[in-house]
Amino acid sequence: MATPKGAIGNGPVVRVAIGGDHDAGPELLRAARDATEDVRVVAVGPTGADSLAPLVLATQNGTTAFVPQCTVANVTTIVETLENGSLPDTAATVEHDPGATSMPTPPAAIDTTAVLGVGSRRVLGGCGWRAPASVADYRVSRDDELLAERAIDDPDAVHERVADAALRGRGRGDGSTDAPISGVWTTATETDGKPVVVVNANEADDHARADRLLLESAPLAVLDAALATAHAVDATDVLVYTNDAEALARERAQEAADALAADRDPDIPIQVVAGPDAYTAGEMTMALEAMEGNDRLEARRRPPGPDQYGLYGRPTVIHTPRTFAQVGQALADNDLGGVPGDPGTRLFTVAGDVDAPATIELPTDATLADVRGAVALDGGLKTACVGGRFGGLTRDLDVPASAAGLRGARLGTNGVIELFDESTCTVALAGQRAKLAREENCGRCVPCREGSKQLVELLRDVYDGEYQDGMLRELARTMRETSTCEFGQEASRPVTTAMESFEPEFRAHADGRCPSGSCDHVSS
Amino acid sequence: MSTDQSSTPRVPDVENPQPTMPLTEDIRPGTANDPPVETVEPDRTATLTVDGESVTVSAESTLLDATEETDTDDYVPALCSYDEHDEIGPRSECRTCMVETEEHGVVPSCSFPAQDGMTVRTDTTEASEARDVNLDLLLSNHNLRCTTCGKNGRCELQDVSIENDVVEPRYGVFDDRDAYEPLDDSSPFIQIDRNKCILCNRCVEACNDVQVEGVLRIEGSGEDTRIGFQNDAETMMDSTCVSCGHCATVCPTGALVEQGLTDAATIPLPGFTQENSIGKTVEAENDRFQPGPATPMKGDQKSESAAEPTAESPPTEDD
Repeated sequence: MATPKGAIGNGPVVRVAIGGDHDAGPELLRAARDATEDVRVVAVGPTGADSLAPLVLATQNGTTAFVPQCTVANVTTIVETLENGSLPDTAATVEHDPGATSMPTPPAAIDTTAVLGVGSRRVLGGCGWRAPASVADYRVSRDDELLAERAIDDPDAVHERVADAALRGRGRGDGSTDAPISGVWTTATETDGKPVVVVNANEADDHARADRLLLESAPLAVLDAALATAHAVDATDVLVYTNDAEALARERAQEAADALAADRDPDIPIQVVAGPDAYTAGEMTMALEAMEGNDRLEARRRPPGPDQYGLYGRPTVIHTPRTFAQVGQALADNDLGGVPGDPGTRLFTVAGDVDAPATIELPTDATLADVRGAVALDGGLKTACVGGRFGGLTRDLDVPASAAGLRGARLGTNGVIELFDESTCTVALAGQRAKLAREENCGRCVPCREGSKQLVELLRDVYDGEYQDGMLRELARTMRETSTCEFGQEASRPVTTAMESFEPEFRAHADGRCPSGSCDHVSS
Repeated sequence: MSTDQSSTPRVPDVENPQPTMPLTEDIRPGTANDPPVETVEPDRTATLTVDGESVTVSAESTLLDATEETDTDDYVPALCSYDEHDEIGPRSECRTCMVETEEHGVVPSCSFPAQDGMTVRTDTTEASEARDVNLDLLLSNHNLRCTTCGKNGRCELQDVSIENDVVEPRYGVFDDRDAYEPLDDSSPFIQIDRNKCILCNRCVEACNDVQVEGVLRIEGSGEDTRIGFQNDAETMMDSTCVSCGHCATVCPTGALVEQGLTDAATIPLPGFTQENSIGKTVEAENDRFQPGPATPMKGDQKSESAAEPTAESPPTEDD
């Protein structure tokens, strides 16, 4: 299969972003292609900023015009204007190096596209700018050398670079979340059997979009790093595992895998497979169970972990696309930046009571407060849930974006920041998350299965006038300390952090009052 | 109750080095492909310290094996573990065996490999709290009507509760009558009371890994997790059970009891029996023909797999 047309190079080009939650992209692409035969029209991936979609970029002679919320009429005009040798007149126009391989971001002062100027766009640099499966575009961004090519020649250097950088795993479902990843690489290499590399992109939490964004928009950066990893650990297979529902991410990953195989000798095959759209299916051992074809997903007993006993019992290096994106940055000899203990950047999707969710990238030495610039919050901020479905509740976003900073603030590290306004009751919010834990758990271990039931019961007792904080803390502690997998270990975090930061609300509910006025069934 | 996930997993084309026995390839126990319990250094012994006492065990031992070699300071129930047969467990599901280690914090002793040089304590606040809370969590989901239970006096859950000085479980007991699952009394050999099941998985492993019958499985998830049948039957009589009784033998509670023993240990109270203790009971259809210990479904399974109906096949209504 031929590698798709690239977007980078000289001459005028129109980029149409396709992907994310908007389906107008393909229509715009057709209209743009129908309107011209001279101007290059290229389908790119989403940028992560939903408020801009559908986004069209018109580039000519080192200048790019941004047209957010583009319509079919607009795109026809843009193409015709470009055909006539000029750029459309838009609110955001940015000058850049004509051969730029990363999206030039409009200054934050320009209102509509300000979200693209929040944080830094390093692993997101190709998103919305490079053609997702174009090896030519990707090669230009890597000075014409694939990471996998270098890794074939010197696999040990790959491992050494990742170990020296002390890169930590990102996201839920990673084989070494928040821990240095070189440890699992070493174990997988030293364990008997041929290793497997798994790219775990299965995430049913609609708010945690970073992995999906990377596969839809910059899959080659993920797959090239995964291939380099496979060479470093001497693996024979690379598997990309997504949700069943994420057809575009799977399609783009497959196109990228095919393009990579066509570009170079496919000595390590890349397979793209789908798992169930269940929240549990993203947990690393349940991901392996799904890939093995088990009829019921259940967390595996550990130790040993997947690095020793993974897919079909083979040593398995399993990381999320976010982690592989950081590996790619490290191997490209980029200065990773951030704090030394957790170098690089972290991706955060800002969601909740906002006009449109946005996935942005923060260096680990930034603070979460920076994300406020990426979204418009309806009303004042009362509570943030940081870290995904089982993240921590806080009022204060002045927290470092590093693993240590987030953990220190008792927040989760799964790259989601949900912002809630004054109308959100934190007791109810914590209760909803506890209920989710009760309904979604795999059913294997007692602290998670039975503990989440009792957690909901104890929260019901609060509404009935009895706030047993000691009982709640004891139960949460046991779930955290004794559950088999991260699901149970994290399930009680919304409750415990809510008790810490919003205790008066618990007492008010026990007294029959809901301070935010949203619980109308409080008994009095 | 459906056990299906929202979509069918796709199995990638990757070499599977694990041996598959032809006999077991159709068995779907609904449980994870767990790793074996062993240390990273086989053929060696491990010397570790348990509550200050030094103990040496073989390399394939768990921390529970080590604690059993010593006179521990605290009681470690390890309810779901089963140490009489290699093919069963460790499942490490009930988490009533938690101990504290210097190296890895609080860990389940039943499945944690005993590594050389480890320091283990059974008596720390964290470990004993974890064991106590998890035992009470088990009891919170258990039909505690011991007086009508056939396993009264020979029940492992009862034993560990007594041994652990449980007087009043902190989350109460399972006593919401509407939530009881009907008692499955359909089979003339094994009675199932799922309200007493702690999902320890012993019966599933005995049925699949030891007897290789492939009758039982774990199904559902979350609070709906239960013991079910691989042929999607709702009752024991409609399953492919051969009445070997191994499931009932290994069951630590009164969830699976041989029919002849269902009233063996009950305390006689007029009008109050195991069968009516929870209200609803599923009985066998009276006209069902059952020539031997295997259920008619087992016979159907046999005749389906054979090219010609065999002589052992039970007669059907059409015959």
